[in-house]
Amino acid sequence: MIKKEKIESFIEKIPPAPKTLNETFKLLKLGELIKAAKVAESDMALKSYLKNIVNKPIYGFKNDVSDISQIFGILGVQLSQQSVYNYMISLLSPNRWTLFKLNAQLFYELQANLSKKWQNILEHLNIDDKDRCAAITLLPASIIVTEALFNEKVDEVNLLRTTKAIDYNTILTRLCGVDIFDICGQIAKKWEMNENIYKIVQAASGVKPSGEQEIDMLGKWMHLLLFYELSNPKFIEAGLNDFVDFQIEYVADIYDEFSSLMEIE
Amino acid sequence: MKAVLKGGIATFSPQGFLDGNNASTYLSVEDVEAAINLKADMILVSLKRVIFFNRNGLDIFIKLFSKIRKKNSATIGFCDYDQNKYAAIRRFYKEDINFSLFKSLEIAYLFSSSYKDQNKRVIIYSDDKSQRSAIAIELHDNGHTPSIAKSLDEYKEKKSSFDYSVDSTFLGQMGQKIATRVSGNAIIYTISSFLDVEINDNFNIEYHNNSLNVGFRLFIFDAYKVISMNVHALNFFSKLSTSAAEYNATICFVGMKFDKTAITFKENMEDAGILFYDHMDDILQNKKLLKELGASSAANIKNKRVLNKETVIELPKFINAAATTIEMMTNSKAIKESANVQNLLIDKKEGKIASSIGYYGDLDGMVVLVFPSAIAKKACELLIGKNTNDMDMILDTLAELVNIVGGKIKTLLADEGISVNITLPRTYQDVESLLEVVENRKGVQVELSFDNDKFLFFLTR
Repeated sequence: MIKKEKIESFIEKIPPAPKTLNETFKLLKLGELIKAAKVAESDMALKSYLKNIVNKPIYGFKNDVSDISQIFGILGVQLSQQSVYNYMISLLSPNRWTLFKLNAQLFYELQANLSKKWQNILEHLNIDDKDRCAAITLLPASIIVTEALFNEKVDEVNLLRTTKAIDYNTILTRLCGVDIFDICGQIAKKWEMNENIYKIVQAASGVKPSGEQEIDMLGKWMHLLLFYELSNPKFIEAGLNDFVDFQIEYVADIYDEFSSLMEIE
Repeated sequence: MKAVLKGGIATFSPQGFLDGNNASTYLSVEDVEAAINLKADMILVSLKRVIFFNRNGLDIFIKLFSKIRKKNSATIGFCDYDQNKYAAIRRFYKEDINFSLFKSLEIAYLFSSSYKDQNKRVIIYSDDKSQRSAIAIELHDNGHTPSIAKSLDEYKEKKSSFDYSVDSTFLGQMGQKIATRVSGNAIIYTISSFLDVEINDNFNIEYHNNSLNVGFRLFIFDAYKVISMNVHALNFFSKLSTSAAEYNATICFVGMKFDKTAITFKENMEDAGILFYDHMDDILQNKKLLKELGASSAANIKNKRVLNKETVIELPKFINAAATTIEMMTNSKAIKESANVQNLLIDKKEGKIASSIGYYGDLDGMVVLVFPSAIAKKACELLIGKNTNDMDMILDTLAELVNIVGGKIKTLLADEGISVNITLPRTYQDVESLLEVVENRKGVQVELSFDNDKFLFFLTR
């Protein structure tokens, strides 16, 4: 159904990170927000994406924010970096979604919601680290990977899934020996993302903890945040709720803290 | 969200958080309609991967449940929860629970009238006496041997010596489906109370016809708990017996009393060929009688029909459905090696297992798949998730696989405007038991090879 060759072909097609983005990252890492904004201004697609994201309701700005330096200034270094990473991930998203009932706007909304809530979580955990902050951006890549690998096999997979409650990640693992999060890891490596980003996302799969206490703790929070977000009616309707298995036992010890932070009653 | 059907239970499995805002998106009206069409004995929502729920969320499901109950007499409720979730649901609804709660899906299977794995020893604990009795009666009706623990201590002490232990389970309004169990080559239906026109809805005629088609010859109605029947029920049983006669099958009633039912009903039923016995053991313990009644053989005696033109025209779709499904499951390419119209011919019968599924509607017939055990194992690995030699598990999974083939056939034919339904799948641990069913039936035999492993497809009527 899905052969290793298809996975290799997908990974090969991932373009290297554009020069503008690399330059923007370098400057953001140095905390040079104004210089980074000037570089980012030259990439019209990035500019449009950032405007779109920052004006989502989750950021809560009353007035329309349109200037890149203003956007970077409002977001600060960490969220600016996250937003640029989110843009990179969105470059991989398909023009037309087939497996999931998504569109660009809904996907951006998922990215924005995850990013903002992840920042709240890191603040709650007193973690101030750019790479840990940026880790959340790789998580939606798992949705893009699933769409890319399974979109031609929708009928077969649906038929299989009416017989057995088996998620896409498990199907891929059983067929090819690699999972969706391994492929996200390869994307991270190709784009020279920090190794910790890759490790946290692996731990966030809920099935592959790293054995490193802090990484796994962040993986748990990310796993729970993912399913909190995927329980949003829009994303349930898009078919995202069951694309990977929710590992309820994995997150049991942080649930009370999470529900208190998210004000779940 | 689509329901997964297994062992007569359609299960929905939402994940994450469940509240009044999102419950209706987990389970749309279309999803419920599709689940009703599956004709399941039970429709359940699994809470296994739900970390949070509130009453508003559950209320939406319960409203949908009541719609299901109006259209279909299935049992509805929740399963797969821990003690905290069970306590929360009981607290939300207190005495006003008209749905059922099963601690796990495995426990729910024990109460499903279509579940084949019967005769289990089950210990029950509930602090509610009426629930204890209701659970015990339902389990008994489904062919199990229940035992009630009088205290929690007794339950904890004894549960390891039983096949299953049932606690934190609540039977609300149970389905009205007639419980079915298989004893050897006899099928036993349990009927109770007043039998009237509703028997037409509550009796799973598709299951019955499928059983006839796959070779069952003796059908026993356990009627100990029947109080009386009216003329509609009488007509139903008479017709059932007449149609069974076409297959040379026998219908028996056991334990039926006629003190509140006109004795002329008994005479009418006897005229229709129904036999009456006082006790179940009068039949099941009498091997000579069992042989006379046809329960010693699963051979299919009904008219052996030939393949018709319509079936032959659609043959490529049947082969395609089987091949693409096995391709999907084994991740390898199928090559058709030969196709012949003949009686089923199997070289080297040793080490082969088989499965079959029937279809009926605009077209009817039966698809048989014969696998060397190694390919069956390989094909089932995707569903099982590991390499196993557990033959029960492999056969169980093979039934799921042939069910996927049946589903694919149904879809491919529907694209051509041909409407068919599929029967429950059947598996055969050895080729001999398959041959008893399809012996002397002509069909199309196709040999396919997957990475040099051969498997056999046979289509017959």
